[in-house]
Amino acid sequence: MSLMLKNTINGLDKILFDEIPKGSVVLVTGAEGTLKSGLVFSMMTNYVAANDEHGLYVTLEQNVESHLRNMSSLGIKKESGLHIFDYRDMRLEWMDSELDLIKTTEEVIDSYKEKYDNMTLFALDSLNALYSISEQDNMRNKIYNFFSHLRDEELTSFLIMESARSRISGQFSQFYQIEHFLADGTIELGMIEGKGGVKRYIQILKMRAVKHAMEKHQITIGDNGINILGPIY
Amino acid sequence: MKKSVENVADLFELQEDNCKRFVDRIIKTNREVFIMSSLLEKQMCGYDLIKEIFTRCDVFLSQGTVYPVLYTLEGDGLLHAEYSKGDMRSKKYSLTLSGRKAAEKDVEDFAKALEQVSLLLKR
Repeated sequence: MSLMLKNTINGLDKILFDEIPKGSVVLVTGAEGTLKSGLVFSMMTNYVAANDEHGLYVTLEQNVESHLRNMSSLGIKKESGLHIFDYRDMRLEWMDSELDLIKTTEEVIDSYKEKYDNMTLFALDSLNALYSISEQDNMRNKIYNFFSHLRDEELTSFLIMESARSRISGQFSQFYQIEHFLADGTIELGMIEGKGGVKRYIQILKMRAVKHAMEKHQITIGDNGINILGPIY
Repeated sequence: MKKSVENVADLFELQEDNCKRFVDRIIKTNREVFIMSSLLEKQMCGYDLIKEIFTRCDVFLSQGTVYPVLYTLEGDGLLHAEYSKGDMRSKKYSLTLSGRKAAEKDVEDFAKALEQVSLLLKR
């Protein structure tokens, strides 16, 4: 039986009432430690396992081994249909060359699509890292083309973006708007301090063509992985 | 942009360009066979492979098209990867036993396929 993305995490259907349309590009934003990678990886691994499809998770911040260790510590297992690609070897071996990582990421996607024609999901962890190690010339156009590439390939894509860092340092602020205009959806993850201590939350800020809740909902991590509970206030 | 043909030398150059374009496309589309074929000779890292294929075939396979092939072949059990002693900067790939068999068969089948295509065109 096929599984919808909104049913891949316990309680996600409390905030997403319809399925995310295929080919949507969704930003997943939030400060560090707010479960961005865990949420995306968990959705993808559960989805590909249940639907016998393939997904590609590209990590620029960690290598495959350390990413898998982190996921395992959250109780999230990698299924065989989910492929992880890191840039460690490429960057070490081509240290003296300037790599266009946006173009290279598009080629990586195309290569996996050639191999697995039923690859339907893609994630990039993170957009900030991609910006910081890419040539800054003409970045707006490059990002526009990158989003178009993802849509042309009909991949439902999750682009992870550390928002606090961009707001504080301003380093990425010139690009901050464009992804939000271009994306079909934005999921924000964060932490909120209340009477009962610090709680993590998830909020759908935007999701084109999908009915969704507006409230912040509590997100927790338990033995069975990630859970989304009721509204936080 | 189309080149203008003004003399015989230009014509030869144009024909060579056209031929090179086909060779380029064939190698890029079938890069898995060329990667495996190169690894039949010795173990190599991604960088070495790109350099080797460029030297041998005059075709540059970009990083984004080579590393995914290496990772998926490793995942399929056809390649074995290890970091060289004292050099954690390059991950060397070699064919496993089943990888070697698959590589030899692929190289043979690919050569046969090219011959068949050539015969079909000459009919």
